Amino acid sequence: MKRIGLGLVILTLLSLVASNAQGRIKLVALPDRDATIIRLDNPHASLVEEERVLTLQKGVNKVDFSWKGVRIDPDSIRLRVLSHPEAVQLLSVSFPPNEAALVWEIASPEGWEERVRISYLPSGIDRLVEYRARTEKDEKNLTLNAYMVLRNFSGEDFERARVFLNSGKAFEKTIRNEETKRMLFLTAGPISITKTYTWDAAVKPHDPEKVSETVGIPVHYVIQNRVSDGLGGFALWAGKARIFQDDGYGTTIFIGEDQAAFTPVGDRMELYIGDTREIKVTQRKMFEKKINIRRNNRNDVVLYDTDELFTVKVENFKNEPIVLTLIEDIPGQWDVEKANFKYEKETANRIKFLVPVLANGSETVSFHYHRRNVR
Amino acid sequence: MRPTCKKHESFLHIRLCSFLVLILLGLVISFSPLTVKAKVDLVTLPERDRVQMTIYNTADLTLIREVRHLTLRQDMNRLQFGWANTLIDPTSVSLRALRNPDKVALLDVSFPARTKGVAIWNIDSEIAGEEPVEITFFTSGISWNAFYLATLTPDEEAMDLEGYVRVTNRSGEDYANAQTRLLVGKINLIDRIIDLAKREYPYGRPVEIAVRPAAPPEAKLRLEEAERVMMKVAKEAEKRPKEIIKEALSEYFLYTIEGTETIPNGWGKRLPSFKQPGIPVTSLYKHDEKRWGNQVLRFLQFKNDKDHKMGREPLPGGLVKVFCRIDEEAHLSYEGADTTRYIPIGEKVELNLGEARDVRVRPVLMEFRTEHFMFNHRGDVSGWDEHRSFRVEISNFRSIPIKVEIWRHFGTAHWDLVNSGDYGQYEKVDLKTGKYSLELPPNTKKVFTYKLTTHHGQRAE
Repeated sequence: MKRIGLGLVILTLLSLVASNAQGRIKLVALPDRDATIIRLDNPHASLVEEERVLTLQKGVNKVDFSWKGVRIDPDSIRLRVLSHPEAVQLLSVSFPPNEAALVWEIASPEGWEERVRISYLPSGIDRLVEYRARTEKDEKNLTLNAYMVLRNFSGEDFERARVFLNSGKAFEKTIRNEETKRMLFLTAGPISITKTYTWDAAVKPHDPEKVSETVGIPVHYVIQNRVSDGLGGFALWAGKARIFQDDGYGTTIFIGEDQAAFTPVGDRMELYIGDTREIKVTQRKMFEKKINIRRNNRNDVVLYDTDELFTVKVENFKNEPIVLTLIEDIPGQWDVEKANFKYEKETANRIKFLVPVLANGSETVSFHYHRRNVR
Repeated sequence: MRPTCKKHESFLHIRLCSFLVLILLGLVISFSPLTVKAKVDLVTLPERDRVQMTIYNTADLTLIREVRHLTLRQDMNRLQFGWANTLIDPTSVSLRALRNPDKVALLDVSFPARTKGVAIWNIDSEIAGEEPVEITFFTSGISWNAFYLATLTPDEEAMDLEGYVRVTNRSGEDYANAQTRLLVGKINLIDRIIDLAKREYPYGRPVEIAVRPAAPPEAKLRLEEAERVMMKVAKEAEKRPKEIIKEALSEYFLYTIEGTETIPNGWGKRLPSFKQPGIPVTSLYKHDEKRWGNQVLRFLQFKNDKDHKMGREPLPGGLVKVFCRIDEEAHLSYEGADTTRYIPIGEKVELNLGEARDVRVRPVLMEFRTEHFMFNHRGDVSGWDEHRSFRVEISNFRSIPIKVEIWRHFGTAHWDLVNSGDYGQYEKVDLKTGKYSLELPPNTKKVFTYKLTTHHGQRAE
């Protein structure tokens, strides 16, 4: 449904004065819209640019632009003169009462055809990005397809519009009001995958045997938006990613989906695909004592340190070795006295162990720390 | 009513009886809807050649893959599919040319305005002629679960275990002669397929997502027809149970059922998954006052490994019903049931059969005293020790040897313990808990004592 209309009223300066007394004069000519561009690189608003050819008379011309039934931010509407930008001048913009319309006053030194570009921000038209990945059976690499889903609920039909995302590639599409269109805009691969397993002590049960369901440990795929992986051309937009895996028979299984975050070039995209139940983690606190107790003159304890020992048993039931990321939170001020695995300090209160475990094997991480100056 | 093969008044004229209604339209020059209507040229009604279902058990999700032969024209082809009255997620539908993937490209998919349950694919083909294509999509409404029947030998030293899977189809569609695969695993889903299937607009609206009132799909049981199909399939089937091939993929296990299956809408189907006789089991009894009070709970313990004649596949979570053969004529008694967790290969299994009446654990406090009091500057008590002496009596009234685990909670991290008597093995579980493991021959008693000293207040420092 075409609702955005452009009317051209050609008036001399003299009759302009008269028209003020008469009320607004409506459309005279309807120049067709051509070269429409829908630009979707801003996730918060879509920009439409359309070009039209106005037949201007010498003198002041009134151009009526209306958008009944279409939601447009009137302050976003811009007019740019293309054919004679030096000579043709936009004098004013006025907004008639109770109408989705505006009137441009355009002064032209000659009578000629003038190409103009009108741009505006309509609501109700946007795009989603969707990814579909197919991993190899051994999960070393994947092929990524990215789709743009154009949703037009703006109230306006766009005929043969050129649709731009940030990828530089344009699609020429006709998109009608209330229509949704999905199109492939990127195929890349092979992209190397890093697979991670993460057990976070703050989130997961410490004794899986006391839980009625097998505790799942989150599995992530990490890919890099970089040239060596066939990506790196542009940022990958946030969107739903569905991941399939080659099953070795020429077909696939679906192995999970996640909402991919916006990933600039050079950054990593992390996708949570599902939980493994082939790894079991049991954490136990084996020792706790207050030490370095300091008292006031009434003998009350005012300050102390702690002596705490934890063990974390990691059992791998898989037929292949794994590296488990073990996240532990330690509140306040602390120092680790001893740990039998290397750890990294992630934040002031969080440490991370990377625990390699052999196929069908198990490891026990033990860490002994002191919290200092507990009051 | 389920969709039937009948003429429609729309410009498409014909619908297929299938999950997806697929219609291939001829070359269309203009993109305008009016001209599309005028120029529609019905080219081919592609039949479904093969169907594969991959059914998930931790989410209401089935991946359907079907292969059809499309007769394509060189240049632009339009293919319409419809999913009205199904539980298909329209955003999941994808198409892939199998023979000429480089020459047949899906340019876009449109979900036309003011048209529900229909999408149009624009396919650009460099070839003219027949091309096999694979169409995949997600549907809701088909599920499967595992369950087990266990039979103990009279001496309770071994157990026969039979595993089954049961597939139930409530998707609104019949699935005939489909290769059926079951996926064991916990995948991450950010939207429920049923919600996607019921959306008014497949991808929602930019401003607000309008959801159609959630009317369940109409029940489409056609029992007579379904029975007829199933009878036919049964006749054709071989006279042996089907095998289920199991393999690990990523973090999941894929069970592929031999041959194909026909599961009409509304029907369920039970299939044997495995059968293993003679699994050695341990009768384990557990006592933990904090968790179960005075009761002793009976467990059957074994491991999903080769030593226990298992270990070929993980055991999906499901209900296990345990029976015991009680005589030479193989009469059975029902022992109890438990729902297992998912058991990976190599993991131990403990089936909880409920309260045991013929094994008793009685921890009795025999002595209590306090000492080593400390006082603060006001003369109040600021620290002390408590001594407790427990006598634990374990009675096995059964005529089989058993293992018993007794968990004791000390209530504080500051304690000392002295065990004496026949206490078996002692293990410190964590800073406040200890565990005694004992083995008892048939019809015997054991007694042990532990002396627990706990330190409180300043005495704990």
